[in-house]
Amino acid sequence: MKQFKKLVVPYIIWSAVFVVFPLVLIFLYAVTTGGNSLVNIKFTWDSFQKMAEPIYVSVFLRSLKLGVITTIICLGLGYPLAYMISKCREQVQVILILFITIPMWINTLLRTYAWISILQDNGLLNSLLEWLGFGKLHFMYTDVAVVMGLVCDLLPFMIIPIHTVLTKMDHSLIEAAQDLGADKWQVFGKVIFKMSIPGVLNGVTMVFLLAISAFVIPKLLGGAQYFLIGNLIEDQFLNVGNWNFGSAISIILALAILLIINLMRKVDSDGAGGDEE
Amino acid sequence: MKRKWIGAAVLIMLCTGVLLGAAGCGGKDKPTLRIFNSGEYIEKSLLTKFEKKYDCKIVYETYDSNESMYTKLVSGSEYDILVPSDYMIERLIKEDYLQKIDWDKISNKDALIPALMDKEYEQGEKYSAYSVPYFWGSVGILYDTEVVDEEDLEQGWEILRNKKYAGNIYMYDSERDALMIALKSLGYSMNTENKEELDEAYEWLEKQRNTMDPVYVGDDVIDNMISGNKAMAVVYSGDGALIIADNDKLDFFEPKQGTNLWYDGIVITKYCEETELAHKFLNFLLEEDNALLNDEEIGYSSSVQSVFETMRDENYKGIDAYVPRTDYEKDEVFRYQKPDIKSYCADLWTKVKAQ
Amino acid sequence: MKKHIELTENDNVNEDNLKVSGKRKDKNMKSKKLGSILYIGLVFFFLYLPIFVTMIFSFNSSKSLTRWDGFSLRWYERLWTDRDIIAAVWVSVSIALLATVVSTILGTITAIGLSKCRKVLKEWILNVNNIPVLNPDIVTAIGLMILFSSIGFFEKGYMTMLFAHIIFCTPYVITSVYPKVRALDVNLANAAMDLGATPFQALTKVIFPMIKPGIFAGILLSFTMSFDDFVVSYFVTGNGVSNISIVVYNMTKRTNPTINALSTLVIIVIVITMLIVNLVPMLAKRQDKTNMKNERNTK
Repeated sequence: MKQFKKLVVPYIIWSAVFVVFPLVLIFLYAVTTGGNSLVNIKFTWDSFQKMAEPIYVSVFLRSLKLGVITTIICLGLGYPLAYMISKCREQVQVILILFITIPMWINTLLRTYAWISILQDNGLLNSLLEWLGFGKLHFMYTDVAVVMGLVCDLLPFMIIPIHTVLTKMDHSLIEAAQDLGADKWQVFGKVIFKMSIPGVLNGVTMVFLLAISAFVIPKLLGGAQYFLIGNLIEDQFLNVGNWNFGSAISIILALAILLIINLMRKVDSDGAGGDEE
Repeated sequence: MKRKWIGAAVLIMLCTGVLLGAAGCGGKDKPTLRIFNSGEYIEKSLLTKFEKKYDCKIVYETYDSNESMYTKLVSGSEYDILVPSDYMIERLIKEDYLQKIDWDKISNKDALIPALMDKEYEQGEKYSAYSVPYFWGSVGILYDTEVVDEEDLEQGWEILRNKKYAGNIYMYDSERDALMIALKSLGYSMNTENKEELDEAYEWLEKQRNTMDPVYVGDDVIDNMISGNKAMAVVYSGDGALIIADNDKLDFFEPKQGTNLWYDGIVITKYCEETELAHKFLNFLLEEDNALLNDEEIGYSSSVQSVFETMRDENYKGIDAYVPRTDYEKDEVFRYQKPDIKSYCADLWTKVKAQ
Repeated sequence: MKKHIELTENDNVNEDNLKVSGKRKDKNMKSKKLGSILYIGLVFFFLYLPIFVTMIFSFNSSKSLTRWDGFSLRWYERLWTDRDIIAAVWVSVSIALLATVVSTILGTITAIGLSKCRKVLKEWILNVNNIPVLNPDIVTAIGLMILFSSIGFFEKGYMTMLFAHIIFCTPYVITSVYPKVRALDVNLANAAMDLGATPFQALTKVIFPMIKPGIFAGILLSFTMSFDDFVVSYFVTGNGVSNISIVVYNMTKRTNPTINALSTLVIIVIVITMLIVNLVPMLAKRQDKTNMKNERNTK
């Protein structure tokens, strides 16, 4: 069996060139100036200092805020749904979960394009509102449009992990709680919800991460003035051409995400530790 | 049994993969032109027509703005033909990205509007040495005649900060045009290299953003204004004509403080090896039938005299936006910016958007 | 791009449900049930609204995306003659296939080798493998963009896009195959070799068949990820090579029902594939059960 050991060699080389090296390059760009020409390259922390300017900090905060809002809505919508699905018959569950995954396989861009035609000022939603006698509202280029697009795109990422833990749950615990006289809400709050926390954390992390680094949905549904951290990176790389600053922002974004993931893991393991006591 | 099935599936996938890969690389025997054009800026059937006529292949790609085109070029992408605006042509000439146009190879030369051929960016330096005029026009404000008071138009660009229309305007997501509006409104040259003036322009835009809640859009302005979604929009004159043709409640005006008179040309890059074919393409676009077809789709002011007249007198009869204002002393043409000013402006515009 | 967790976990759901649903007996009151059906319906309506709208208006005879002006197939005809879209479909499909094949092979052999590595090396590789999974797409994208433009070797376009797709697909293959390899009984391959099989035979005849479900999951994941990708492709492409996402992105500026026609076709293909992939095994299982019952009955 030792012969198989060398099977990892191609991937080690591969990942060194295509996974690690690009990160090194991003870092190099972030700590230098002089753009693309090697001649006038100079080490500097300017790009990071620039990131500390209030205006760029506010972009960061706006992304975080949008991430939090999207995550809360996804959780609010997704948890009850996952719970209800887990109460269905097994075959029904398989089909429902299948239909929740299908949209994830359809191109995000195509689905976002459809949202534009729904949310436009003379779009379907407004036609409906007018027909009901409410009059027109602006949806496109507002927070509402962006959040709606993001929630529709990311909701499955919340539902599925929660559903998975809910179905894997040990039901003897619930029965034990009922036998001990707990009412419906107590059973839910003290047993079911507590046991589903790993799934919730999983979903929350995923939705939050995807939401704060999103840039196409905000751009298409929010307009060019809807400027998030992803848009800032794109702008620096594709329009402004300041790759140094763009790299610095990317590094900060990647580090922030790493921090969040670790934080979530810690919460998760602390929670598990608490249960054992 | 099942294992065989999986093996067969993998084999089939491999074969298709190899075949597809081979096919993807194939077709290189035909001469190829790599065209990098602004989005929605050509009637696409012309590309197919050209390919058939000259038995060649066109690789077609689009960009959002002159700036993104330039960034892509700098980062190592190679194209044969580009369609930049005036200041970007000047930049590309100065940074040695272009090759001269061989006008002997362009038999439709005489069809072009003479004034465009003679346009200079510096004393004695004509754009037409390196570019073939494509479209031209100005920047102005498209407004809903039923919502906007005629007398408010007197404010010129300042109407974009008139609180009466707060939440009711589209701005164009273009770094230089946005700063142009602010600079002109403040009475400065839109080509200023004075950072204090640029800072003032930034404040103008910042204040506008905070009080007026404008939406910054690109080509999506066209459908939005055709539907009459907002009262005003900053547009290129040609887009104005196109939109008014579909929504006659709208009208177009060029503010009194002066505006950007722009000129887009087709250039051949130094990377181009198929120069013969490239010139044939330029000539092809200037043929009257093709130019007319192209302009009917795009709506900008054509560089071909006869097409310009046909469009003015027939298709866009009565639509002033098709005929840009010329000979107004306060109007300017964008000029090349030194690298430090360019990145300064880019930062300012990013900051406006990032508010 | 972060679909792996759901999909791999989803595999287990079906099996677990079998055990669970037997124990559970729903005694919900009717009104409560109605409530949940209503709620599930509403959320599904929200999820599927854009999809239905797209499909319906792809058959509209006018350009409007909001007013129904009668049935027509003109946007499908237009789709057929649109050079950009046809080219993009070609690019998307061929890259998805090639990236799937390469990343599945690379990922599978790596996963097999990985289980035989020393612990330190293994952990290092798994950590590096996690980078493209955890990093936001946009960071992966710009990293590759910088890489491809600083190494002159790659001409931007088809090849850079293909490489990029292999790069972000492979980790998902490894994450879906590796657990299956780890669960393998080491002695099996050894036994095969003791009995005179070459290592290659041991690999193909013993190991591959046993990790097949993992490989299958990896294939599905890579294909959909590659087919779906916008961000990475958008940054690394050049020379006029666009996939479906990029073409759609460039077209969203103007109303263009041709996109709806394209969407509809993509949706139909995906829904059919998903139904086949997911429901056929389920039906097969039931078929097996009935067969078994029949056999028992005849006995």
